[in-house]
Amino acid sequence: MNCAQTRELLNAYIDGELPPDQAMALSEHLTTCAECAGIYEELLATVRTLREGLVKYRAPDLLRARVRSALREEERPATPAPIAKVRRTVRVPWRALAAAVVLMVASSGITFVAARQHVSAESLTGDEVLTSHIRSLMPAHLTDVASNDQHNVKPWFNGRLDFSPSVPRLEDAGFPLLGGRLDYVRGRPVAAVVYGRRQHVINVFSWPAGVTGDAARTLSTNHGYNMLHWRSGGVEHWVVSDLNAAELQQFGMLLER
Amino acid sequence: MSDSALESFERIVVPLLDDAYTLARHLMRDEHDAQDVVQEAYLRAWRHYGSFHGGDARPWLLAIVRNCGYTWRRGTRVQRDSVAYVEEQHGGGDDSHRATDAAALAASDRAELRDALDQLPPEHREAIVLREIEGLSYKEIASVTGTPIGTVMSRLSRARQRLQDALRLGARAKEGDR
Repeated sequence: MNCAQTRELLNAYIDGELPPDQAMALSEHLTTCAECAGIYEELLATVRTLREGLVKYRAPDLLRARVRSALREEERPATPAPIAKVRRTVRVPWRALAAAVVLMVASSGITFVAARQHVSAESLTGDEVLTSHIRSLMPAHLTDVASNDQHNVKPWFNGRLDFSPSVPRLEDAGFPLLGGRLDYVRGRPVAAVVYGRRQHVINVFSWPAGVTGDAARTLSTNHGYNMLHWRSGGVEHWVVSDLNAAELQQFGMLLER
Repeated sequence: MSDSALESFERIVVPLLDDAYTLARHLMRDEHDAQDVVQEAYLRAWRHYGSFHGGDARPWLLAIVRNCGYTWRRGTRVQRDSVAYVEEQHGGGDDSHRATDAAALAASDRAELRDALDQLPPEHREAIVLREIEGLSYKEIASVTGTPIGTVMSRLSRARQRLQDALRLGARAKEGDR
């Protein structure tokens, strides 16, 4: 093997990617050619520096939480590969099924009005809050201000909202603050403060209440998400997460304090 | 069935988040873009999990991350009004803890290395990440980047040469400071 060939193959040699006969020929050349041996030593040192010095980045916890939540959301409708297909074929039968149920209900003499009244303003709000939560899990939607310091998050809302949301520090209880963003619920801008719990994202929505009087904290479940709602001090609070109910209740209790 | 597929994905692919993020981080050279790319890549990986036929999931996942990264750079990038300064100011960076076991000098050397790497053209950057950080074989790198093995070899060789030059220059500059 000559010098030109050797230098061309040095990288593959160092990486152990040469077939044995070539590797042997190359190492023989190195024992006889001081110049090539020098180049080899230097390249080897560089590769060692790179392997020792370049380390993996650690994915931020927020990213972990986002990926996990997004996966769970994605997983909900169907099995992975045929998602699009299944959705398309399922949609029509669903409608037909719904129509059949309506017909059955109607024909069985139960008035529909009763059901209608249950679709209260509160559940409409709950649906919108849930939609906002899910949307927040899409790439680049979770936070407008990403910070684990309430002294950054709270002032960020100044001038963006006509009230100041409470941003308590709950990290010691295992609910680190992740950030905040402006969101819209029922046509008005609201504060969304984001907390984490292990790999779960918790969105806390709040805005000045349109009605007077407090409402006690209630837990509900919507599409597999747990939601808390309460009204106190003239502020509506909605908390949404895929976190389990018990821990979310604990979070709600801390928040309400 | 869907449960077991997700369980398998969570067992095999989700633990590779650091690998995915590292590649994205060097490709995008921006932590926010890198996070978005990784999230997008994971969704895509999950949707196409059926096309993963066992073996090492890393090259398979990293190919998806790479494609998402290039697509993102080509202009699907969404407008984001994130307040970046807050994180800088408060050291919200994601790599600070990495250097805890090393001396301060080593930490600055590492930062210097990363900077030198990030100065290279993207095809050189990805070759270095896949080889030196991920330890992939030439064949695997070729499959991740969709290039012939000969191209992998020449890119790696040129990238290492450039890094070697950059480090030598850096060392010389330091000498000069003394």
